[in-house]
Amino acid sequence: MIEITDLQKIYRMGDVEVRALDGVTLDIAKGEFLGIMGASGSGKTTLLHMLGLLDEPTSGKIIIDGTDISTLNDYDKTMFRLYKLGYVFQDYALVPDLTVRENVTLPAMLRKDLTEGQYRDACTDILTKIGMLDRQDHLPRELSGGQQQRVSIARAIVNKPDILFADEPCANLDTENSRMVLDLFREINEEMKQTIVMVSHEDWHKDYFHRIIRLRDGKVTSDGINDRNAH
Amino acid sequence: MGKKELKVAFLLALRSLQRGSRSSVILTILIIGMCFTNMIFLPGLFNGIGQSITKQVVDYEIGNVLVSPKTGDQYVSDLGATLDLINGMPGVERATPHFSKGATLKYRQRMLGVSVRAIKPNDEKLVSPLYTKMVAGSYLGEDDTGEVIIGRPVAGDTSIREEDEFQSSLGGVRVGDSITIDYGNGYVKDYRVKGIYYTGWSSADSAVYVTYTDMALADPKAVDNADYITVKTRPGYSEKFVKDELIQYGVSQKVQTTADLLAKSMGRALQSFAIINMVSLIVGIIITTVVLFIVITIKTINSRRQIGILKAIGVDQEVIMHSYGFQVIIMAVLGILFGLVLTLLMAAYLAANPIVTPEWSATLYLTPMDLIQNSLILFAASIVAGYVPAYQVSREDIQSAMRA
Ligand SMILES: Nc1ncnc2c1ncn2[C@@H]1O[C@H](COP(=O)(O)OP(=O)(O)O)[C@@H](O)[C@H]1O
Ligand SMILES: [Mg+2]
Repeated sequence: MIEITDLQKIYRMGDVEVRALDGVTLDIAKGEFLGIMGASGSGKTTLLHMLGLLDEPTSGKIIIDGTDISTLNDYDKTMFRLYKLGYVFQDYALVPDLTVRENVTLPAMLRKDLTEGQYRDACTDILTKIGMLDRQDHLPRELSGGQQQRVSIARAIVNKPDILFADEPCANLDTENSRMVLDLFREINEEMKQTIVMVSHEDWHKDYFHRIIRLRDGKVTSDGINDRNAH
Repeated sequence: MGKKELKVAFLLALRSLQRGSRSSVILTILIIGMCFTNMIFLPGLFNGIGQSITKQVVDYEIGNVLVSPKTGDQYVSDLGATLDLINGMPGVERATPHFSKGATLKYRQRMLGVSVRAIKPNDEKLVSPLYTKMVAGSYLGEDDTGEVIIGRPVAGDTSIREEDEFQSSLGGVRVGDSITIDYGNGYVKDYRVKGIYYTGWSSADSAVYVTYTDMALADPKAVDNADYITVKTRPGYSEKFVKDELIQYGVSQKVQTTADLLAKSMGRALQSFAIINMVSLIVGIIITTVVLFIVITIKTINSRRQIGILKAIGVDQEVIMHSYGFQVIIMAVLGILFGLVLTLLMAAYLAANPIVTPEWSATLYLTPMDLIQNSLILFAASIVAGYVPAYQVSREDIQSAMRA
């Protein structure tokens, strides 16, 4: 599903060079629920940005679903994100001017393969699932961090993307809500065979992952199957 | 851009206007409205003044087409034949001659120099609305002799003392009174004042009118001569058409349209008007453009992060650009509507309370074409002003936009 070869990302700020990713090679299979773990600053977010087509690597290759993404122009990348990918940002990244419902519906509204009735239903379903239906007309700033996080998850999965990227989606949630989110991820992973790549640094999350990658200083230091969840 | 993209762009535009700073949106709309009004008010006022002057000149001086003596001649001669020729032309409602002589009016102790205009009352009625402007008594009959109609300022007012008069008069002549006209050529005659009129056009109001029949007694030249002939055109025929046809069919006199004459006498003033109009148009466009440019630029800068997010979740940059475009369109349309309302209110006010002077009365003269044209110009300027920053910001890459 995703083939990553010798991926490098170097940030240059004046004379200082930060190797945020330093030669990452990795294959992610379709339907896999992959956990990326590692200390703060180890390059997790950077890697997810590259995979989510939000930033360009300095060197290396990413092939998603048979497409070498370096061959895509801006418009194609946007459409790729719209039709194939879902992304949960570490800082939620909700659109401040839009209500909860509008935030969640927006990506679905743009899809040519969905009718208005379909995306409305999809939105209602997902809001119900994350327990935010009663808040659907609120603006993001009227919600708590955890609630915003859940809305951002809803927005990422409303289009049932082939691949879901989630950058510390439980960072602002209590254990109960974290479990709810992880159970939701497990559910869509099992029911719809969606590939999920999730960044986390909570140790107990690994119970949910099929496979765990550890990053340190932009390098993969371990790559292991989680026996309990392996399929 | 498909329908779905436009719908999303419109939703984003609407929400940004609703949830962003209300006061800046309202201020922007007000400014556009003011610019619109500013663009259209002065030209409309000048046009109104121009129209009112033109109407008076047409009504009381020269009609639509003026036939005057050819160079070197003092009079339009062979009057009967010339009038018959003109009156027979298609597009001519009626032609009527004027013959004026300077004279001194005497009434009791007062003396007043005036121009005595001889007219053919029945034909004059078809050309000039003077007969509808009688404030006392009645209009001249076709072959009246010894009867005169005089302007209200000439008649004067008994209650105003001579030294307090704004314009010298006969000091309060009333219908039925007798006044003496001394033509200065030895012909002196008493006339009965048959009527008093007031037109608001000062050169008509400070004259007196007698019939051609009467004038022929005072000056035999009036029998078959005129100072000029004024021609009224039929509706649907242009002045130019009638002028050309008169020349073509053998009117050997000088033939000019009102427009020709006004261009000559008011050419300078019209040029200045045109310059002022152009300046107010350009200023309106510049202010609107600059304001919208600044408003949208600030909006886009403040929402760079939001733009980054939208791109990240799969919203195309064109949709984002149009979302700002729609905001401009909405503000421009509301601003122009506000300007239209403001302009029409002022037009209604000025129509009810025109600025009246002896020479003209000013109302706003606005044609639907002026309103449409100005709306479109302002709208186009707004679009340009809004799309430039929208285009620029929508092109930014996701990473730098999101970090903003
Ligand atoms: N835009 C950037 N400019 C410069 N350095 C950056 C930028 N983004 C991330 N970094 C650096 O790259 C490294 C990896 O960052 P990040 O991927 O955010 O780590 P993590 O998500 O694992 O905490 C860090 O040292 C961070 O400071
Ligand atoms: Mg991170």
